[in-house]
Amino acid sequence: MARWGMVINLAKCTRCHACVAACRIEHFLPLRVTWPRLIALEVDEGYKVDVSTYPVRCNQCKDAPCVDACPTEASYKREDGIVAIDHDKCFGCRYCIIACPYQNRTYLSRKRDPGWFPGHPKTSIEKKGEKLYPHQRGTTEKCNFCMERIDEGLPKGLKPGIDRDATPACVNTCQAKALTFGDLDDPNSNVSRLLREKSGFVLHPEYGTDPSVYYIDYKLGGNDNTAPRESQTGYVVQHLSTVYEPSKAKLAVKHERGKKAVKDNCE
Amino acid sequence: MNARTARQWMVTHEWMVKPMAQTEWIEGKGLMVWLAEVFSALGTGLYLVALFLGLKEEFALTAFWAGLLGWVGIAIFKLPLHAFYLGKWYRFWRAFPPFSKAWRTSWFARGIVFTMIFLAFGAIQLVLQGLIGYKVVAFASGAMDANYVFMVLAGVFCVMTAVYCGFAMSYCKSVPFWNTGLLPIVFLFMGVADGLALAMATGLVAGQEVTEIAEQATRIMLILNSLLIVAYLVNANYQSETAELSVKELVRGHVAWVFWLGIVILGILVPFIISVTSYFSGPSSLGLLVFAICCHTIGAFSLKYGVLKVGIYRPLLPKAHAY
Repeated sequence: MARWGMVINLAKCTRCHACVAACRIEHFLPLRVTWPRLIALEVDEGYKVDVSTYPVRCNQCKDAPCVDACPTEASYKREDGIVAIDHDKCFGCRYCIIACPYQNRTYLSRKRDPGWFPGHPKTSIEKKGEKLYPHQRGTTEKCNFCMERIDEGLPKGLKPGIDRDATPACVNTCQAKALTFGDLDDPNSNVSRLLREKSGFVLHPEYGTDPSVYYIDYKLGGNDNTAPRESQTGYVVQHLSTVYEPSKAKLAVKHERGKKAVKDNCE
Repeated sequence: MNARTARQWMVTHEWMVKPMAQTEWIEGKGLMVWLAEVFSALGTGLYLVALFLGLKEEFALTAFWAGLLGWVGIAIFKLPLHAFYLGKWYRFWRAFPPFSKAWRTSWFARGIVFTMIFLAFGAIQLVLQGLIGYKVVAFASGAMDANYVFMVLAGVFCVMTAVYCGFAMSYCKSVPFWNTGLLPIVFLFMGVADGLALAMATGLVAGQEVTEIAEQATRIMLILNSLLIVAYLVNANYQSETAELSVKELVRGHVAWVFWLGIVILGILVPFIISVTSYFSGPSSLGLLVFAICCHTIGAFSLKYGVLKVGIYRPLLPKAHAY
């Protein structure tokens, strides 16, 4: 049986957010829920500053703490290595959210799912989307490697990672080809070849969860390609939120400056 | 759609790159988890103390009422609070065997199983204790022998109910402050100390003099608890950077008042001073005893609040300075 995995080449990622958008469209995600996420990490080594974008999602761990923690067996591990959630069994205790060492699970509350246009009636597209991919409030959600696509593609003889119809939406849409999907157990698969040639690391290997998402990045960790170490990432961590949205502190300063300017003008 | 709404998905997730505290079990509806855990500690602590009191004939009535209060704390407060916290509370039954085999791996599921078994054995034991307490049957009779059996059974599952939430939390590798084997012990011992205080209150109401024996035990338990809490914090301080941050947050951060006022002063120091004073100068006055019992209970609420509140996630990427 295959064990589906993903290799993410950090050097190729352009932080375009296309994978995030593709996932939203594929699963008709509620407004404030995001399965794959992008994290910008700035590494300052004194003489050299490097910025990497880490696309993160559920690591589909081989030894998944969330599956062990789930009291209703709603979180389960499939034979192909994908950690899935049976939303009809989940009762929303959120133990899996806290147990996941990668913080990749989201509880779908009313706050996170206010409708696409809060305060307005649902559009026909929303209604169709809910039928196509029903999300249950009061349960937990996470990336599932687009298992519906894999399950539909395999009987048709399609190969996940090669044939688009059986490949996760984020991988299909990645214009920079930073994401590669395939069978980790097959030594000839594209992911195994990539890992063999360029080696790869997983986040927080010390947890012993054996994730199925690997990263390749020659900028961090040197040529031995290891997970970023604390000594390397000491100085500044830049968040995309600082790019797209001024922080509250910055807003406060701006507000104070504005008030001062108005006062000066009045005087 | 305003600009902020439009770019909801374009912002990064600070909790992944900054060491941020968990909110699921302590904020908003999560406060129910906190309260449920407090009632769990108080209920199991009180029941365990009642079991020991039940071994002596002169405390039989107090043992019955204290046990009943502990049992009620679990059945009427803890379980419903846990259930109403759930996103889909009507699926509560899914955690029980035979509908689920999750108890093999999940501490949450185990806890529910332990609690239900404890409630069943506890109910039978309380009936027997009530018969003995109200002298319907003699203390030295077959009923007491049966009571011993159910005391052991209910006691074992009561201890398991008391420690499971500590194990459930210590299982989380993502929160290094909780990820230690000391946590269940801290919760168990603090629960027993609080149970002693509540047993004193029950003794006062039931008209049986359990204060002296309870105060003796309280003195030992409070010293033990102080050492345990210090050991727990020192251990966390050296365990990892995130756990160290949790300790700082608890001791010097925005929940420091909960730690110093709630846990240290009201939960440990005040009851300890009152019990030591009574050791040297005779029995404490009723008002002072009630005050000590109230302080103990506030300490129980504070301990769970503080530990849950400073449960800080280890960031996904190794280091962040923004915190």
